Amino acid sequence: MRILLNEVKKIFTWKTMLLLLFINSLVYFLLIEFYIEYFPNGSGIYSYNIGLEKYGVTMDDDEFIDFKKVYDEIVDEATRYMQSREEFVAAGLDTYELFQAYDWGNPSQEASALRDDVFFGKKTELFWDLQERERLIEFYNFRKSIPEVLTDNQRDRLNELIAEEKFGVYTEIVIRNFKSYITNVGIAILFSVVLVISPTILRDRSRGLLQLQYTSKKGRNLFKTKLLAGYTATFIIITGLLTVYLGLYSLNNTSMFFKVRINTFIANESWYDPTFFQFIMLCVAAIYLIGFIFVTLSMSFSNVVPNMVSLIGIQIPFVVGFLIFGLNRLLPNMILIWIPKWLTPFSYGGMVIVCIIFIYYLIKREKKIDILT
Amino acid sequence: MMSIILHECKKALTSPILIGLLVVFSAFNLFVIISSSDHKAELKIINEIIETYGLKITDDSLDEFNSNVQLDVAELNRMTASEFTSVYEFLDGLSFENQEKYSDEQWEFIHRLQLKEMYLNMAKSIDESYEGIDIRKLAAGEIEKYGLSGKAAETFLNENEKFFERFKEMVSNGEHKQWFFAGKAYYMHTFLFKTIFLQIIIESLLLIILTTALITTYEFENKTHLVAYSTKRGRKLMKNKLLSALAIAAVIVVFLFAITLGTFFTVFDYSHVWQTSISSAFNWEYNFPYIAWWDLSVGTFLIGVIALVFVVLLLFSGLTFALSVTVKNSYITFFLVAALFVLLWLLPSFMPKSANLLFVSAYTLPTLLLAVSSSFMGSSGLILFENFEWMTVSCWTVITIVVCYMSYKRFIKIDIS
Repeated sequence: MRILLNEVKKIFTWKTMLLLLFINSLVYFLLIEFYIEYFPNGSGIYSYNIGLEKYGVTMDDDEFIDFKKVYDEIVDEATRYMQSREEFVAAGLDTYELFQAYDWGNPSQEASALRDDVFFGKKTELFWDLQERERLIEFYNFRKSIPEVLTDNQRDRLNELIAEEKFGVYTEIVIRNFKSYITNVGIAILFSVVLVISPTILRDRSRGLLQLQYTSKKGRNLFKTKLLAGYTATFIIITGLLTVYLGLYSLNNTSMFFKVRINTFIANESWYDPTFFQFIMLCVAAIYLIGFIFVTLSMSFSNVVPNMVSLIGIQIPFVVGFLIFGLNRLLPNMILIWIPKWLTPFSYGGMVIVCIIFIYYLIKREKKIDILT
Repeated sequence: MMSIILHECKKALTSPILIGLLVVFSAFNLFVIISSSDHKAELKIINEIIETYGLKITDDSLDEFNSNVQLDVAELNRMTASEFTSVYEFLDGLSFENQEKYSDEQWEFIHRLQLKEMYLNMAKSIDESYEGIDIRKLAAGEIEKYGLSGKAAETFLNENEKFFERFKEMVSNGEHKQWFFAGKAYYMHTFLFKTIFLQIIIESLLLIILTTALITTYEFENKTHLVAYSTKRGRKLMKNKLLSALAIAAVIVVFLFAITLGTFFTVFDYSHVWQTSISSAFNWEYNFPYIAWWDLSVGTFLIGVIALVFVVLLLFSGLTFALSVTVKNSYITFFLVAALFVLLWLLPSFMPKSANLLFVSAYTLPTLLLAVSSSFMGSSGLILFENFEWMTVSCWTVITIVVCYMSYKRFIKIDIS
């Protein structure tokens, strides 16, 4: 236990910690900050939680009728507003219906000035709100349609969701923002753990410490302790960084969506149906898994390559390849219907098995290897 | 002396992992080029157009082109026994069953006609589209987009005014009236100078940083420093290390460029468009055409960009050298250089939007490298400045020489045990 503690201490030198801090702040500014600062962003800005407070986590037909009723009331309000302004009546836009039906492709000067006025000048919220509500109604109307090009499994799943009345009624802004956020957090954490853990085993080797270590009482079993220390340090780093990053995420104030099932977000049909909060936990688990898999890889390489440069070089294709081809499929979209259902469990399962084989082989190899060369 | 350099080079060249990476990177580049080459046959039509009607688009050549296309349309009408005025009319009205009525040869004719008409229509609309460009209005839009104010906005407007002069000159020269691959259809400029070049740049950077760090810190990491630096050559060995790092960097860049661009120009036939101006109206991919500050042809532009990238990558080798002489640890050096790269690139976003410092902070090597597709261009947002490229390169050459000299001087005297 004492040895394990000392090995962990060896990993957390102040130099690595400084580098870790530096790299994380850069990644934060490069990739992550945007999703905190500009949320909610775009046209949904005034009303990303429309309907949620009133109707709870699902929306049935009665509630939808009520939703439409509210929409009609707001339309009336908009119409009253438009009629109260002479410019609108003069431009022939005295009801909201006329406003909508107007040919915005080639508007007259007065009309486009008026449109800019209601969207960007006065009365902003009302018209933005209407637009967002129209979009949601549109999606609700199309809730039972199924796209044409699908595999049988996907079609079955969509039919099942329709039978269970789980439709995308809540705005996708929240889930999309979270997915982008967690992907970039995943990148930051992957870099961090690989950065910190990679050199540990190689460092002892290149300093010629093995001759001393392996002739002590603990002997070659020390290698197992080193691996364990690597995993402990990985756990500490991931937990620490996740605490920070999820803490930052809480600034987005999306907790009212935590109970919403992820299939009730627009365009987010999934193979399983966890709540948003459970989905967050799922992503957290996946990040831990990815972290441990890549640390295993790092430590394996660390035990065989001759120098630090080779250690970095050999990991570049693996890490970059995973970022390009794997990360999106295995982290934010892991249960999405557009990814085959078997892909996620098989990929993670396969990687874990490979890792176990690596570790088994490394431990076996370390028992017999000639440490003098 | 020479043999020391060679032996230093060998340290990097015999590392199987670096060689492996070079192979993997080259293979990846080839894969990207070949997997996006579906339209390479379509591109050949521009060679025929240039051969028949000349490189420059004049009213006469356009008339000739137009009448030839009309002949082809007449041929199409004979073939289909109907009265179309354009091939698009025919294609729009084509039903699914009718598609099989025509033989493969006929289809090839139709496709070729379609391409010719596309180019003809684009050429005809050049004047109209260029009259629609309002440089001043665009500048106002940019200022709003980036939130510039005060001195920064003033500088931007001044430079933009100069660019406006250049734009007028370019239009009167007719630089834009030259044939090139249709930008909005194929995005060849973006593909070559952004996708492919950025791949080469990032791959070379990774390899250069690794090899430079390897060579420079080799003695420390192999515990041979006490021997190596107490020989007759002594700490001057660092000079040889710098030279061999630069040599290796050059080899890496040349190799990656040769294999990638070699494949690129074998797959895509550029033989007839080398003389075309890079500011051609066909080289218009997004909201605004590419317009260079000088009358550059595609060939000159390519050579210019290659030279620029080459020099900047060597500068990175120098900077890495200076850092690893100081840090003496290749692992930390690698991540520090990577972090500095990102930091320099992000620098403008930390600057106030009202001072000229904003523009100064963009004169950095990462910004130059990552925006290489719009080098020498006046249509490149906040880095539109005419002097951007040569100022950045010369300033950073000085900086690199100074930091290399300083770290070397420091290294001569420090305690290395």
